Amino acid sequence: MSIEAINEQLLRAIGVGVALLDRETLRFQFSNDTFEEWFGKPEPQQVLSQLFPELDAKALSAALSDSGRFTAETSFKKKRRTMVIAVDFTAAGEGEERIAVLVCQNITRIRELEAMIESYSMMVERNTREIKREKEQVEKLLLNIMPRSVYEEYKTFGVVTPQMYDPVTVLMLDFAGFSEIVGSAEPGVTVSELNDIYSAFDRIGEQFGCERIKTIGDAYVTVAGLPDASPEHAISVANTAVRFIRFLERRNASHPIKWRCRIGIATGSVVGSVVGVQKYVYDVFGPAMNLARRLQEFCEPMQIMIQDRAADLLRDKFDLQSIGNREIHGFGTQPVWRLFEHTSGPARM
Amino acid sequence: MSEHTLFEKYGGFAKISKVVISFYDRLLDSDSVGPFFDEIDMAKMVDHQTKFIASLLGGPAAYTDDQLRQVHARLDINNAHFDELKSVLSATLAEHGFAPDDSDTVLEKFERRRGLIVG
Repeated sequence: MSIEAINEQLLRAIGVGVALLDRETLRFQFSNDTFEEWFGKPEPQQVLSQLFPELDAKALSAALSDSGRFTAETSFKKKRRTMVIAVDFTAAGEGEERIAVLVCQNITRIRELEAMIESYSMMVERNTREIKREKEQVEKLLLNIMPRSVYEEYKTFGVVTPQMYDPVTVLMLDFAGFSEIVGSAEPGVTVSELNDIYSAFDRIGEQFGCERIKTIGDAYVTVAGLPDASPEHAISVANTAVRFIRFLERRNASHPIKWRCRIGIATGSVVGSVVGVQKYVYDVFGPAMNLARRLQEFCEPMQIMIQDRAADLLRDKFDLQSIGNREIHGFGTQPVWRLFEHTSGPARM
Repeated sequence: MSEHTLFEKYGGFAKISKVVISFYDRLLDSDSVGPFFDEIDMAKMVDHQTKFIASLLGGPAAYTDDQLRQVHARLDINNAHFDELKSVLSATLAEHGFAPDDSDTVLEKFERRRGLIVG
């Protein structure tokens, strides 16, 4: 077999469609088997536009004389599959024999894979957005039960190292006659009233830099000075306490159930930590917590009771009334004070 | 923790993409179910098959029952069509080395949706 014959065999058999066209008239001069399988065998003297009506013949001629190349894409149905073919024209030949070589490559699979990647990436992106939303939801829930810095530690290390905070000021509040209210009102009413009051307490506390730790039934605990130390911890808590009372007075004036709180405030140290493994909760405990609880027990309804150490920090900004020494279980005998809002107005931080 | 899905077990998208493509090829070649796709745009059909395979294998797609019902509502699909699709799916999974147990799991999952697809 001659080299020419071999070349022609190869050209006919390769999986790329090849055709030769007269560059002036765009009439077909040659086409190989693959080309004919895709586009049919060009009739003698058939021109390009008859086989590829969507191709812009003018743009093709212009591109061939400018840069010698022109590329486009065409598609057709083979049975029911959409075939996508990349067509590439190159100017060739000289003098009388000016021809255009047309090379056609089957890029159907590439287009199908592109469509699949697009479909898949859209699914993944949508899932990622959903996961992000869920994560934010979980984060929001966890931030309800622990301070942000504690949450960050928990997220990074999976554990929270118990930490001693000193000094902090603790506010402990409960309601006088709570059992009677629970006994006489509808359960739903009690819960929604508590919800309303605690939400207001949260807002007030937040305004003054207090971190609400927990509520257990009618007991509400908030702390200032943790997780970040604050020199104003006692004033923050005292300001919060007087506004709790003011809020309840205003609320009671227009509501059938009269909520009357007792507030104990103590300055000292506490330990803060996440407690529990599965049902974990952030909690604080220690001397200041216990003392605040004892002081609250001395309290008359709608009063605020503080101990000596807090009194020292608050004397300039609030009115204090001594109620003498009291025997405080676990803390010995200590001077105890009743705290009022300053007659000249609210304390400045 | 959640169990591994078949999507993960058989190599994630890198491998499952090959399952999708060969499923797509087989569907187009089938003279029973192929005609349903005669007028469907290629990208749309590939998108549909990608989601179909991913949702059956526990990948990142899930068709709700309502979506399945809606998509197939206007098509005249009978039980023979459904059976053919099932056998195309079965052959595709076998070709890609799915263990018989896993293949059965996928086919059962598909079978449970027969009522939504056959109208």
